[in-house]
Amino acid sequence: MPVKVLAFAGSPRRHGNSETLLDWVLYTMRQDPEVEVEKVVLVEANINPCRGCNACETLNKCVQRDGMDYLHDRIINADIIILAAPIFCMGVCSQAKALIDRFQVFRSRKYVLRLPIVPPERKGKRLGIFLSTAGQNWDHVFDGAIPSVKCFFHVIEVKDKDIHYLMVNNVDEKGAILKHPTAQREAERLAREVITEVKARLAR
Amino acid sequence: MPLAVSVLGISGSPRRHGNTETLLDAFLEGTKNAGASVEKVVLKELDYTPCQGCNVCHRTGVCIVKDDALPLFDRIFSVDCLAVASPIYSMGITAELKGLIDRAQYIWARKFILKTLYFSHEHIECHKGIFISTAGLSWDNVFDAAFPAITAFFNTLGFEYYDNIIANNMDQYEGIRGHPTALTEASRKGDQVVRVIGDLKGRFGQG
Repeated sequence: MPVKVLAFAGSPRRHGNSETLLDWVLYTMRQDPEVEVEKVVLVEANINPCRGCNACETLNKCVQRDGMDYLHDRIINADIIILAAPIFCMGVCSQAKALIDRFQVFRSRKYVLRLPIVPPERKGKRLGIFLSTAGQNWDHVFDGAIPSVKCFFHVIEVKDKDIHYLMVNNVDEKGAILKHPTAQREAERLAREVITEVKARLAR
Repeated sequence: MPLAVSVLGISGSPRRHGNTETLLDAFLEGTKNAGASVEKVVLKELDYTPCQGCNVCHRTGVCIVKDDALPLFDRIFSVDCLAVASPIYSMGITAELKGLIDRAQYIWARKFILKTLYFSHEHIECHKGIFISTAGLSWDNVFDAAFPAITAFFNTLGFEYYDNIIANNMDQYEGIRGHPTALTEASRKGDQVVRVIGDLKGRFGQG
């Protein structure tokens, strides 16, 4: 069985810092022949914001027909889910926030309808990665993003302790991350660690 | 003699007349009763895209995306009090409001990179920003992750982040109308902030 990786590039800027960080992770993962990677570029994925209608609390599905129709099963079937998003104005960019909010359908399924998100045998075997970059050099620049990122992963049955983070501050202009002393190595190491971990869990 | 005060309310909820917009309406009603001129904008009805992150504004101070966001920023700069309202979705503000906040990047660039925009201490003191929000969950920390983006927004726009009007546990109260104090409190705060701004404008002689 291959390890399935679903990765979201959340930035509106193509091939910018957060997407480069993601590409380093995905390149390393793809070196393993047992790993299948799908990368979704959010600005091309046609994801509308949540309408807040709460219909999913009774229907167990979203009333909107858009790119989420394509992504829904892929989100459930993936062993590793990766969200890459830059920090804009002390939070994830609004494109990524729209995706996070559309996970409301999973929240309703899990907490309102009390239905399973993944089959029981796959519980505890899914891992998440949040990759982020910020122009500001403040250490706390990611703090406003993390609670929303936790929601994103919790509702799709990735536990708090199974979310891995790589967040790089002080990179603003396009390409700035290429000059970062450790970011690429950290991304590659994280990719290898997460693949090893998920394989161990799937083998149990 | 207090001077006329103008108030702009921005509703960032995708749902019309829901808990957050109702709370905003109560606040605006309070400001109206205190004699302010009041305007409300519903983001869902505007046509604007999120920031593209192109950073062109870092060089020019001008946003290349021409849509409804730009006239809205002009309106923001014409008022004394800005009330920004959003429900909490997934521990943060809505994508609609975040989309608008991210678009303020060109103003941020004017202020911090190009240094062509400057707000005096008096200006900031006379311009008050209020954050209005509701959340379904009862957790005390449910608004915490929203504050940094709101702080950044008011700071960029030259408004003092004056107060929060927030109410959690909407699921338990079955909506804002079931909350014992929130609507009265919002209205009272609306009345109060208009008087405070009116006095300050009188003192600083701003018309």
